[in-house]
Amino acid sequence: MDRNLKGRLEARLGAHLKAPVYQRGDETEIRIEPGSVPEVLTVLHDSVDMRFEILADLAGVDTGEVMQVVYHLWSTMTPDWLRIVADGISRDDPRCPSATFLWTGAEWLEREAYDMFGIVFEGNRDLRRIFMPPDYTSFPLRKDFLLPDDAARSPGSGVRHVERAHVPADLADDPSGGIRRAPVS
Amino acid sequence: MALGDRGTKAGGATGRGGAGSRDANRGLVPATPGELTAPIVVPNTMWAAADPLAYVGGPTDEITHLREFGETDAGRKDDARWGALQVIPTNADYILDLIRANSLWPLLSGLACCAFEMMSSATSKNDMDRWGMFPFRASPRQADVLIVAGTLTTKMSGPLIRLWEQMPEPKWCVALGDCTVSGGRYKRSYSVVQGIDRVMPVDVYIPGCPPRPEGLIYGMMQLGQMVKDRRGHWTEREIGPTAPDDI
Amino acid sequence: MPERQPSQRSSSGGAEALAASSRAAGQAASAAPPPPQADSQQFSTDDPRILLDRQIGVPLYEPIPPYPTRTEREGEFYTLGDGEMFLNVGPHHPATHGVLRLVVKLSGEQVVDVDPVLGYLHRGVEKICENSDYYHVIDQVDPLEYTSSLFQEWAAVLAFEKLMDVQVPRRAEYIRVLSAELLRISSHTLYMGFLALDLGGLTPILYSFIERDEIVEMLAALTGARMLFNYFRIGGVNGDLNHEFMSRLGDWMSRAAKQTEANAGLLNENEIFVRRTRGMGVMDREMALRYGVTGGNLRASGVPFDLRRAHPYSVYPELDFNIPTRQEGDSLARYLIRVDEIRESIKIIDQCLHNMPDGPVMARLPRLLRPRPGRAWGACEGPRGMLGVYAISDGSDQPFRFRIHDPSFVNLETVPALLPGNLLADTMAIVSSLDPVMGGIDK
Repeated sequence: MDRNLKGRLEARLGAHLKAPVYQRGDETEIRIEPGSVPEVLTVLHDSVDMRFEILADLAGVDTGEVMQVVYHLWSTMTPDWLRIVADGISRDDPRCPSATFLWTGAEWLEREAYDMFGIVFEGNRDLRRIFMPPDYTSFPLRKDFLLPDDAARSPGSGVRHVERAHVPADLADDPSGGIRRAPVS
Repeated sequence: MALGDRGTKAGGATGRGGAGSRDANRGLVPATPGELTAPIVVPNTMWAAADPLAYVGGPTDEITHLREFGETDAGRKDDARWGALQVIPTNADYILDLIRANSLWPLLSGLACCAFEMMSSATSKNDMDRWGMFPFRASPRQADVLIVAGTLTTKMSGPLIRLWEQMPEPKWCVALGDCTVSGGRYKRSYSVVQGIDRVMPVDVYIPGCPPRPEGLIYGMMQLGQMVKDRRGHWTEREIGPTAPDDI
Repeated sequence: MPERQPSQRSSSGGAEALAASSRAAGQAASAAPPPPQADSQQFSTDDPRILLDRQIGVPLYEPIPPYPTRTEREGEFYTLGDGEMFLNVGPHHPATHGVLRLVVKLSGEQVVDVDPVLGYLHRGVEKICENSDYYHVIDQVDPLEYTSSLFQEWAAVLAFEKLMDVQVPRRAEYIRVLSAELLRISSHTLYMGFLALDLGGLTPILYSFIERDEIVEMLAALTGARMLFNYFRIGGVNGDLNHEFMSRLGDWMSRAAKQTEANAGLLNENEIFVRRTRGMGVMDREMALRYGVTGGNLRASGVPFDLRRAHPYSVYPELDFNIPTRQEGDSLARYLIRVDEIRESIKIIDQCLHNMPDGPVMARLPRLLRPRPGRAWGACEGPRGMLGVYAISDGSDQPFRFRIHDPSFVNLETVPALLPGNLLADTMAIVSSLDPVMGGIDK
């Protein structure tokens, strides 16, 4: 929990932040628009007081309503992990600028996000499928891609029978199977 | 393009050269270094296989999905194994079976974690070389047993089926580990073949995740016994899941 | 593919296949000229340019895209220059560490470019984990880095413990470190064996497997399984140390140091090994940081980044060990770093055994785990690099998103930059020196 880091982030990136800097444990999280990804990443990478030089991860997330691209960065100047959530990518035409101009290693990570979610990274020179065969048409990690036994109303459809025993009769036809899920932001 | 020039030059040159048995290579134009040469494709008339469909790679070209492959006869053509004398084994056949059973050379087909247990059973502590199985051949042409060790995904199933087809008879297949037996822990996955018996005939199933090397050795012992007993109804071996559909 | 009869002249089909394999980017078969007519020539079968038709074989899986190339990089790769050819070091290959396919563009014996094709082991673990509860996730995550599965579990468990704000008892932390460092030694020993195997040495792998068998039997006495342990739990570990494990561990520790030196001595001073790895696959500091490489590969390039010291987790702050770092960045440096790390791990295990506290091995947790809605990132230092897990919870008992960051994935990404300029024989040596495990790469 690095308060200094919060101050520095707000100072440098104030205009880009969609939400206040969120800190919990040893993680600091900022939310930005996908369009500001190149600028924010450049600022974080190059600025002298927070040199986030190590790209730890680049992941895609499908919240059900929107998609996100989540970057995790590490800097030797702060003990916190920095998480950048590029929020608000639409599910119908997911596009996000590529980070390959800064880190060549982001190329395959973005290929993986494309393969699993369909997020098109503009600026990635090699955006093709990496895991699935090249003629595969679906994007497996999207929330509308259901595994076989999730779609069926079987005891294995995402509800353990232990829990199903406690589901009241009026919830028996509940498509969520009695699992209360909070909306994911 | 280099390709275009090659073609026309060769065509023009041979037109002028003419056919003569004295100088069979007259018509061929030597390639200059650095130039991409177009090969001259001729039909193969020097030898022909007994079965016109033998090397065409027939049914597997037309089949686009694994389920269709199982429903055709292509997967059941294993009747080349024992030949015409399969009813009454002679002494020579008995000795041949002994030889085969004691010298089963596996194909190095380690796909995932089970490959490490396979390698572990081949190395010093659990030595499979005691039964003649140490040479893990990399080339399918030299292998007897295809030990499928590791998860088979839909993308890999094509190359694996080709490997199986390239192995000469007699050949056997061993499914090592839960993933190859039935899909195992990946029962719900969208990209895992639920058991290799959907795509190739299996002789021995070795369950476990991963099975201990002693388990693999036990499975290979069973296989050796099957070879010696000529068990397993290889001629009617089926491809396809043996579990009922509604499971 | 067009239908072909075996007895007909299929010169046009053959030429089409060839044109497909030497097609420039984006141009269809219209660019290929009609081949010379077969019946107007006399051929000697000694001529290497003569191809028997498809009775010998068709390309088994397209090394070259028959479709128009989709991306810039693909077009650039699948365009052949003068004297270049493609060689498909296919998914089935004795040296590819699993099912990795490298389409190598060669000019003679020298590699010009390489396109790794992954996905032959993609099992959809992330999707399965989204539909499993947290205990099952830990089990599902094992076969990713199958030679070092405890580290994979550790990363997942770190992320989940952050989500649930669970305090892990100190004895459990020490047992975690002990078992994980044992597995690190096993993984590094296997690395040494496989590196030698890819260079042609068949002996060190046998010694590596002896070592690995001993360690893995130890861990089987502790966890119940030889390879996919499923031992770590959210809040601790699954079971306490037992007599069998301690006696095996004591036996092994009494000869561990000498055994390590003997195993390393097989290769360290072997002239063939040193000459084939020195100066090969040099990755300098900037390149390593640009690619996001972590672990021993990064430390071999001069960046002393080790998560156990940079962002300490578990009880590593209390343990005394060094981080070996080298400056050269070649395959030999990567190998030597791992040998050094084995020695450091033996030191750590020693300290764990001496300082093992008493207490429970598992925190008290409810049966049905429902973390607070939120996001957590947990990372640990595995034998190949930083293993990261990003978990999003939505308040139910299944993770909403379970993202695994695997170090071998980014390590392998450097291959198209490391291989060109080397000979084909060094290809597998360089790939092998990066220590890829296909299970983790393909998830």
